[in-house]
Amino acid sequence: MRDVIVIGAGAGGPVVAKELAAKGLDVLVLEAGPRRADPRSEWTSYENDANNPLTGFLRFGPADRSKPAWFRETPQNSFLWQVSGVGGTTQHYFGNSPRAYPGVFEGYEGRDKSRYDVDHLFPFSYEEMLPYFQRVEDTTPISTAAMGPNEALFLKGCETTGLPVQTQRTTTGPAYRPQENAILQPGGHAGRTRDENLLVYPEATGCTMCGHCFQGCMRPARAPRNKFAKRSTDNSYMPMALTADVWAEGGKPVDLITDAFVMQIHTEEVGGETTATGVTWRDGASGDIHREDAKVVVMSAGCTENPRLWFNSGLPNPNDWVGRGYTDHYFDWVVGVFDEDTGASRGVGSGARLDFPPHGAIMQVGIPPAIASFAATFSDSGIRGHYGNGRGGTGPWDGDAGRFVGPELKELMGNGIDRLMFILVMTDDDVEAQNRATLSALPGDEHGAVSKVEFHHRNRSGRTRNNREALVRKAVEVQRGAGARKVFRLDWPPLILHVQSSMRMGRSAENSVLDPTGEARWVKRLFIADNSAMSNCAGGPNPTLTSQALSTRTAEKLYTKYFDGDPFVGHDDLVVSTDDRISKRLQELDL
Amino acid sequence: MEDPMIARRSFLARIGLLGLASSGLASGILSAGPATAAPLDLGVLRQLLQTLSLDTYKGLAAFVVPGDDAYSHAQGTADGTPGAIAAKAPQFLMDSLDDFVGLPDTTVRYATQALATGLAGSNVDVPGLSLLPGQVLALDNALTKLLATDETIPLSLPVAGLLNLVATQVNPASVNGLFVSPFARLSFADKAKAFEMIETTESGLVAKLDVNLPEPLAETVSGVLKFVAGAVIEFTAWGTYSEYAAFDPKSKTLDGRPVGWKLAHYDHRAEGYDSFRGYYQGRKKVSHA
Repeated sequence: MRDVIVIGAGAGGPVVAKELAAKGLDVLVLEAGPRRADPRSEWTSYENDANNPLTGFLRFGPADRSKPAWFRETPQNSFLWQVSGVGGTTQHYFGNSPRAYPGVFEGYEGRDKSRYDVDHLFPFSYEEMLPYFQRVEDTTPISTAAMGPNEALFLKGCETTGLPVQTQRTTTGPAYRPQENAILQPGGHAGRTRDENLLVYPEATGCTMCGHCFQGCMRPARAPRNKFAKRSTDNSYMPMALTADVWAEGGKPVDLITDAFVMQIHTEEVGGETTATGVTWRDGASGDIHREDAKVVVMSAGCTENPRLWFNSGLPNPNDWVGRGYTDHYFDWVVGVFDEDTGASRGVGSGARLDFPPHGAIMQVGIPPAIASFAATFSDSGIRGHYGNGRGGTGPWDGDAGRFVGPELKELMGNGIDRLMFILVMTDDDVEAQNRATLSALPGDEHGAVSKVEFHHRNRSGRTRNNREALVRKAVEVQRGAGARKVFRLDWPPLILHVQSSMRMGRSAENSVLDPTGEARWVKRLFIADNSAMSNCAGGPNPTLTSQALSTRTAEKLYTKYFDGDPFVGHDDLVVSTDDRISKRLQELDL
Repeated sequence: MEDPMIARRSFLARIGLLGLASSGLASGILSAGPATAAPLDLGVLRQLLQTLSLDTYKGLAAFVVPGDDAYSHAQGTADGTPGAIAAKAPQFLMDSLDDFVGLPDTTVRYATQALATGLAGSNVDVPGLSLLPGQVLALDNALTKLLATDETIPLSLPVAGLLNLVATQVNPASVNGLFVSPFARLSFADKAKAFEMIETTESGLVAKLDVNLPEPLAETVSGVLKFVAGAVIEFTAWGTYSEYAAFDPKSKTLDGRPVGWKLAHYDHRAEGYDSFRGYYQGRKKVSHA
């Protein structure tokens, strides 16, 4: 019998595991994908090798890359971008760590109060969340991003908007700024040379501006795992969880089992209440089935897999909200063509942003050419110049919105990847019951029925659609202000990559799965700690920091409720994930 | 009511079997006689179908990123530089669809069966039907046999079949001509029309796939095929502009500069760049409030 079993080692699970391991609990973490203990021997920085959603090492599939990816049904034009393995989607994230907007929490009294998704607020105040934000910001750690050419260009465009510069972490209104990133900033030779012989730890520290955030971070070369620049959880929280005995007094390292796909959560009736008692998982290599029991089970398998596991376990769903209310920031993509160097293929994934509450946010994105070409051919508005698929709208951008295909795509890419600037539009999209993860009617796989993710993107709420249009116009304004010769809008269908709120925490029992502590309303001792637990989409800011702060809070809540512990956030000594004791211990354990 | 035999022949021509039967590839293998001729070996059929699929994806690759190849010439958009075909995008698509989409075998079978039966009755006047060679019927018999076995159907087949079928809807004359695949024979503008037909929500064509399927699979199969048919455009672009064509998976190294990198003027460096431009307004730290 374990104290706690955590299902999934993505953005949220390792946070819970690290906090509880520090308190000496016996924690087992089960991860469906692999842990890449030595990325230098297993990874490259090539886009197809890394990110091909079917074959790449950062795909959603089993550890053995010769086996097919795991299928998920998406019955509409869309793309669902999941990643298995320790780190989950933080392996390919950009480390952008803005806080959720205060307007998405209960108790907000700003003048724009009524313009947020007021029916689906976080069931506590922003002030209550603040210490948890700070805990994650200090642990990860988070810092102000350095500029490369792409950031300098974007910020130049922002300067023409008349908006102020934000110089604090809390967003109180429309403003632009460098990102607060979960990336160690360039030190030594890093960022100052292309000579790979000099880009070696400790002569180079932090971000080498290699342009490969999306391909997974393993730089600088020869750095200890917990000192790689990007603070994905495989580099930050998981190393802490695995070494808790050396940096926390009374700490107990977690047990991590990878290639372990959880197929069922077990429950019993205890005192008239359905209560979680343990889990069953399947070992990917052998096919063997294992079971362990625990006092508390934490689901951290993500917005798409948590509902699947819930349904496949036959857990109760009396208000029919399991899997519903899925938000994805209803992304859009605005491309500018420049006559000068944009540095789009060099530097961090994104080092600058413009927050535009209550509509959402926009940010520049630096990426290599394959993902750039994918982004330029992905649209709900048909093929530019040929058909609009019922949309294809015009606006302040040039020509129709739509896919670039054929000579047009070749010409766009032929400008050169470093003559393009990409802006991602992240909409504050409403929690809507129609957007959801459920079970597919297709035959299941070795882990049972598979997920089906439905987005009714042409039928989203008026507020969501209006927010997106306001953001696209702001993105076009920034592109032109920066000097773009041409500006194009793609009108993406759902790119389901920022995922939130499919197992949401809420005040009302009518439209939420979790109570305000993060515990399942209908299953005791079962908690959810990842993006799916978020009450809403955070207002548009990139979700990881908010998800991790919420996971920290949930870890504390379950520790005080079921293990007779005291609240610890703000009361214990904070240890940063780059601590030398962690590096040393990882080396001793050959991890 | 249309003669079912003619409808069937029309359908076979439209998914590309006519091209296969008429090509030199098949002439040595297939009996030109009637359907009662010696049955076709399934292994041979697989090879032929693979040829048909590959030809279709060549037509698609030229559509997404044209180059100086025959398919780009045929669609009327050739230029003097390499495109997706030179970047091996057709093989990339086939490999990805067939070996790495974890779609259950039964689902691919349903989709292929739906394609081979559900759409056979859609009315398009196809020229030259009376001249259909007997090889087409031999292929049809073998295809029917293949679908009745438990053998895995490669996903690339129904997706290519859908593209070809829609191609003949856009331009019935595409059942005959250069190449094996009707889709590959279309002009650039007609290929765009074919995608419009697949993608447009109101289009009834893809929905017809569901007619003969049991609930609850009905909408699922057309949904999956519709998703895949759209995604092949993005995937073709991805394959073209990635390192795929030059990458050796065993050594994890490149045997030259990938075509797509040249096209996009991409200067790949793994370890880092001298891109540091300081901190905005000199601020290295903000208030934690």
